[in-house]
Amino acid sequence: MGVDLGDLVNKRKIELIGLSGKWIAVDAFNTLYQFLSIIRQRDGTPLMDRSGRITSHLSGLLYRTINLAEAGVKIAFVFDGDPPHLKSETLKERSKVRAKAEAAWEEAKEKGEDGFKYAQSSSRLNREILDDSMRLIIAMGLPVIQAPSEGEAQAAYMASKGDVFAIGSQDYDALLFGAPRVVRNLAITGKRKIPRKNAYVEAEPEMIILDDELSKMGITREQLVDIGIMCGTDFNPGLPRVGPKTAFKLIKEHGDLESVLKDLGVKIENYQEIRDIFLQPKAMDDYSIKMSKPNVDEIIAFLTQERDFDRERVEKAARKIEEVYRRGQRTLDQWF
Amino acid sequence: MFKAVINAETLRDAMEAVSSLVDEVKFSITEKGLEIKAVDPANVAMVSLKIGADAFEYFKTTPLEIGVDLVRLNDVLSMADRGENVQLELDEENHKLRIGVGSLSYTLSLIDPTAIRKEPRIPDLDLPAHVTLPGGELRRAIKAAEKVSDHVILGVSDDEFYMEAKGDIDSLRLKIPSTELLGLKPGEARSLFSLDYLEDMSKSLGKAQEVTLEMGIDYPLRVNFKVGQAIEVNYLLAPRIEQE
Repeated sequence: MGVDLGDLVNKRKIELIGLSGKWIAVDAFNTLYQFLSIIRQRDGTPLMDRSGRITSHLSGLLYRTINLAEAGVKIAFVFDGDPPHLKSETLKERSKVRAKAEAAWEEAKEKGEDGFKYAQSSSRLNREILDDSMRLIIAMGLPVIQAPSEGEAQAAYMASKGDVFAIGSQDYDALLFGAPRVVRNLAITGKRKIPRKNAYVEAEPEMIILDDELSKMGITREQLVDIGIMCGTDFNPGLPRVGPKTAFKLIKEHGDLESVLKDLGVKIENYQEIRDIFLQPKAMDDYSIKMSKPNVDEIIAFLTQERDFDRERVEKAARKIEEVYRRGQRTLDQWF
Repeated sequence: MFKAVINAETLRDAMEAVSSLVDEVKFSITEKGLEIKAVDPANVAMVSLKIGADAFEYFKTTPLEIGVDLVRLNDVLSMADRGENVQLELDEENHKLRIGVGSLSYTLSLIDPTAIRKEPRIPDLDLPAHVTLPGGELRRAIKAAEKVSDHVILGVSDDEFYMEAKGDIDSLRLKIPSTELLGLKPGEARSLFSLDYLEDMSKSLGKAQEVTLEMGIDYPLRVNFKVGQAIEVNYLLAPRIEQE
């Protein structure tokens, strides 16, 4: 998903402790998809409650968010609003991929073959998954922010204003949207499965600093966006046989996208509109980045009574998040 | 034996000052009046309140203790009209408090006072700096700080009272020089407090004409004010530790 600039930018390994005390904004859809694709039983079936409702995302949200919070890293979840109309092709494509994966998984199950990779790609977000997620996030005392359009754009806006320290994302789009810092591998711990391959990589948190990358490459953010558009984004397919390295070379040579296109004698439809999506991200100011008091009773009641989670584990997790909230708060005992 | 009559609004305001922190409390009643001391479940904030016998229209009692669920008491009191009196009478045999509001008569089941958390001894703290200001002004400052952060620094430097709230980017600083305060006793003071506790407290203190804050360095905050003319309320709030 998103634009692939992995070969171009420098990722520094960081320790989670370095993010302690900081707020990180994450694209909620992106994060939920990750949970839905990773947190599955061995045969690929997602976690479910007794009535067959999927709960993988709730498990991920609860345990991962709380682990991060314990390390002092607080997460603000930004939910997508209406996608830009240019994204409709990408969305249609993704929906097709999911339908195909679902069919392939069914087939694998029937034949008794390993269908895990198909199961992973078949993950879908529906209203219930989103509502459940928001309900849990709010109960944990963390902000739920509704973006007017792309979640990543809103998150980048909040990061560029300094309201959050960085964006947590696997996508490089965040950089194009102007996020000063992007932290990768935040939502996942330890081993991470490579999508659609039967292989794992050790995923450690890494950070990309936009300004450092731009000055290292000797380009502006506008030029980086042009590179992204040439490689393909969620809003356009990109130029054939042009990857990040070639795109970078072309931009260095010609300065901007217009000149590149003219020189190559090719066209990219709506490129100006795509630029604007990244350079003037649609975002709103009506949000507040702060932790409120976790509702421990609600977390426990929701997950154990309504979604069949193990009571003991949920209680433990809920108590941890409350401790995080209280951290630094002394009690009166020492003065009695 | 306990029998009393008091203005409903006065009692309601007094109970609100306590119920913002704790739900179940012990009323210690003597011929001098009614007293409540309680700590919130997390041991972070404490409230003590005294309603002197003369704040009642009628007051007659033997020394006794009763346990009261404030949520339910407040429910009953909310039925009273402005200016109306409430009659309180203890039914010792049945462990109930009879509450008369106008022509309505409620019986409120009491809680066994020994089942309520032991009341704390009020610590004797040396809080060097004192600041007195109108309750409304303090409440407004707390509200403003909440927009920015979940904690706030209160302090005194030279002859001004200050408040600092720092979010990840937005920050708020409020300075009130002694000339604009109702009173200031200078002293070394700077401590960090959770805004949700201050917010809970501000519901009550916001109505007071004057509120006195007593502060030290990384020390609890003591807040003194009056509900109405005669009811003394005293909060004590443990500080937070400044992190990073």
